[in-house]
Amino acid sequence: MNKVRRFLRAFFLVDIVQGLSITLRHYFGRKVTVQYPEVVKSLPPRFKGMLRLFRDEAGEPLCIACKACQRICPSHCFDIEGVRPEGSKVMRPTKFDWKLDRCTFCGLCVEVCPTDAIRFSETFRMSALGKDKLHFHLPDMYLRGEELQSHLCSGCLK
Amino acid sequence: MTGKAFLFELLIPVIKIVAVILYPMIMVVVMIWLERRVVAWIQGRIGPNRVGWQGILQPFADAFKLFFKEDIIPREADKLLFNIAPILVMFSTLLAFCFIPLGESFRIGTYTLHLRIADSPVGLLLVLGLSSIGVFGIIFGGWASNSKYPLMGALRSVIQILSYEIPIGLTVLTVVFLSRSMDLVRIVESQREGGVWFGLLMPVSFVVFWISGIAETNRAPFDLPEAENELVAGYHTEYSGMKFAYFYIAEYAHMVLVSSLVVILFFGGWLPPFPSIKAFAFLHWIPGFVWYLIKIMFFLYLYVWIRATFPRYRFDALIKLVWKWFIPLSLANFLVVVALRYVL
Repeated sequence: MNKVRRFLRAFFLVDIVQGLSITLRHYFGRKVTVQYPEVVKSLPPRFKGMLRLFRDEAGEPLCIACKACQRICPSHCFDIEGVRPEGSKVMRPTKFDWKLDRCTFCGLCVEVCPTDAIRFSETFRMSALGKDKLHFHLPDMYLRGEELQSHLCSGCLK
Repeated sequence: MTGKAFLFELLIPVIKIVAVILYPMIMVVVMIWLERRVVAWIQGRIGPNRVGWQGILQPFADAFKLFFKEDIIPREADKLLFNIAPILVMFSTLLAFCFIPLGESFRIGTYTLHLRIADSPVGLLLVLGLSSIGVFGIIFGGWASNSKYPLMGALRSVIQILSYEIPIGLTVLTVVFLSRSMDLVRIVESQREGGVWFGLLMPVSFVVFWISGIAETNRAPFDLPEAENELVAGYHTEYSGMKFAYFYIAEYAHMVLVSSLVVILFFGGWLPPFPSIKAFAFLHWIPGFVWYLIKIMFFLYLYVWIRATFPRYRFDALIKLVWKWFIPLSLANFLVVVALRYVL
């Protein structure tokens, strides 16, 4: 009986029409494509974008040049030097080189940083035409003012 | 003969020849675009929409890319057959379009314009024969590449096309039997006289013909000859550049051909729906060519729709389907049609 039913369903194209109607429904259904350069998908809260040095609310740099990130980095991305300015309690970096071409975005530097100075930003368009464009030095590592706020990931927002 | 009339006699065939080459080409361009967009939409994507309005220039961009690609011939390939194969595939498909009427004949002044190049009383037979010649191109291409995947693809293609020719022949026979002619124009005319499309009269014939037509053009779900996950790209794996484009265009042109054939044989060609019912007489206001194109576009859409819906057959299931179901079914269908024709 079951066999007869299956045969009749196949013979009168019931299954085929059913399948076609499902695809037709999807044809008029919602499209999930994001038109990339015009529309950028909202990034997840813990997105690992480009590494940045952050400042506190007053605009003071958070980095104290402790070199914890340099020590823990498995692929030796960092080259940091620091001095203590006159009358200051903490050290400040005078050199902070980060080599993007070595970075694996493992996040160990972010975890180890005692002052939360180094964090992931939401910048993900990191392609460049030369290797030297992938080496970042102290001034480019900082973000300032509004730019900083726009690059803060939601986990870091204060 | 005056000079003017002579010019007319000369010009009309030239225009017709240009038209018969341009028509399938334009349809192929539309079809490539349609396929990519429709399949994308069904899969929840958008599809190509950057090149030109809604991506309508995408096929041209593809063609330009293929045109400037390097033309590689494998070292151990049979050069003659390797070069002939794409031409043969293309030639057989384009030649078949000579016998496909694009609409009913109409008069311009004293001149009767037939919307086709070749006026043949056995047009249907010629079209079917020519579309089978394309198999040679596929065999040559597969064999001459001297590579295992193209050869496997070509073998599958031959088995498949030869098997599916039989139900196509048997179902076409029912149409020929009812219209008592193999002239494609005559077949459409007899549907006008009968007042009903043959597809509605003989649904079994239509379904068997249509499914076999999909198999004949090596389209999903019967695209075994070019099953990507088994055979790389099937018989045209070793082809690149314009030669690959020839295979590609010929495949799509073949789809247009089968769609035209289905429309002419089963859906009244350029006749509007319900050609004999007075209440629907206003449908005659739309020119026949437009009806014809609408119907062809529907079947081309159906091709894409089916491709996006059904998974590929296993090869033994494919052969089983035709030999154990379609051939007996179309044979029984033919006998029933013959019997009914004589009883009624």
